[in-house]
Amino acid sequence: MRVNDIEIPEGLYYSKEHEWVKLEGKEAVVGITDYAQKQLHDIVYVEAPKIGTDLKQFQAMGTVESVKSTSEIFTPVTGKVAKVNGELAESPELLNQDPYGKGWIARITLKDFDNDVKKLLTAQQYADYVKNLEK
Amino acid sequence: MASQLKKTHLHEFHKQEARMTAFAGFDMPVWYKGIIPEHLAVRNSVGIFDITHMGRAIVTGAKSEAFLNYVTTNDVAALAPMSAHYSNMCNEQGGIKDDFVLSRLEQEKFFLVYNAANRKKDYEWLVQNAGSYGAKVEDVSDNIAMFAVQGPKAQETMQKIARADLSKVERFKCSWTKLAGEEGFVSRTGYTGEDGFEVFVWNTPVSNPTKALKVWNAILEAGKEYGIEPCGLGARDTLRLEAGLCLYGNDIDEETTPLEAGLSFVVKLKKDSFIGKDALVKQKAEGIKRKRVGLVMLERSIPRQGNEVFKDNQKIGAVTSGTFSPILEKGVAVAYVSVENAVEGNIVEIKIRDKMAKAQIAKFPLYDTTKYGYMRQK
Repeated sequence: MRVNDIEIPEGLYYSKEHEWVKLEGKEAVVGITDYAQKQLHDIVYVEAPKIGTDLKQFQAMGTVESVKSTSEIFTPVTGKVAKVNGELAESPELLNQDPYGKGWIARITLKDFDNDVKKLLTAQQYADYVKNLEK
Repeated sequence: MASQLKKTHLHEFHKQEARMTAFAGFDMPVWYKGIIPEHLAVRNSVGIFDITHMGRAIVTGAKSEAFLNYVTTNDVAALAPMSAHYSNMCNEQGGIKDDFVLSRLEQEKFFLVYNAANRKKDYEWLVQNAGSYGAKVEDVSDNIAMFAVQGPKAQETMQKIARADLSKVERFKCSWTKLAGEEGFVSRTGYTGEDGFEVFVWNTPVSNPTKALKVWNAILEAGKEYGIEPCGLGARDTLRLEAGLCLYGNDIDEETTPLEAGLSFVVKLKKDSFIGKDALVKQKAEGIKRKRVGLVMLERSIPRQGNEVFKDNQKIGAVTSGTFSPILEKGVAVAYVSVENAVEGNIVEIKIRDKMAKAQIAKFPLYDTTKYGYMRQK
């Protein structure tokens, strides 16, 4: 679905800090939303978490630097970092170009998604949330 | 909230095309296509900025030269009609009240362009000091639209809509000219380090923006073949930082003197008395303790305002502006550091989010001046 020019794919979960979660078996792929990349714009550096790091939901796991500002990325789920997107080091613009695809940030081995999901939004809920921010 | 912000003539255009932000009481564009593409358009070809938010005043009177010589630091007597110079106004302690460009329109008529954030302060300061010289200060900010057309293709772009021969308007010279048929004024000045013009459309209040819109659209059309981009405040900031130009409120303020800021070329201490002279003479004799420098990151990190600068684990200063340089593709900064450390090539550390990152002190402009900027090899 879309809110203005912001894409919000269905089937993903979202955080109020504008991260998305895609479930793939026991892992979750996470990244930042189209809304977040449009806000930041001109992303020039991405600092991803280290593989093996144990993260608690909503803990800072990295940073995104745009020309104008530095923003923390908060993990939307609890778990262990299984993999990070190595391409972002050389091509941070992937976050701007394809936030839900090639711009993924990390894969996290889930610990207790049933609990995490209580604090996440569905696409529809996130769309309503973004609609309010855009007002 | 947004309704309380002032708007420029181009507000509808900006709202359609750009992401907006509040700046100095105005609703202004931050970027249209993006800071990096806009920045590169200016360095490689041409870009246009709406900078109507800036303050503008006209000073007239038989003693206007003497008045301006007293209230500003540069030598106004040396300024010929239709010439401009960069200058500072200081307080009695030598702190910078503002930096601005002063143009001499006629022997007894001057035009000042100063920072948007200082519109009220500057006007009041000028009026307060003008009395004993019988000079008249008129705030003409709201009656003039102001654009900057910057980049190596600026002259070719502007010539298509200007009646005056712009090849004869040298750097820091000005000219009256029809612009797309409208009454206009251009100065060969800017805030990007590139060749270019600041363009003024006269007698066009925001309530009647027709003339301003006409000129803006004509410039966009004229620059089309060069890939002109409308540019927002984001690119304006990255461009000025690469060029080493100060941002008032960040790099200079009333607690900073022109000598510390590396602006002594606009402070003429041989002039008769001017506001701040005694303090600056004293500071020059005693020697400055800190100095404004450029920094280029040696690591993949972006310094930001307020980050502390260290040498051998000792704090030596702080960052006043920091960003990513689209030309160097590195983090860059303006910082004040202790004078003994302010040496080109010196490697220092900047504390960025609790990590120490190496940076090197570099001279401004930060880019290769044979390839970029107004002095580039053609």
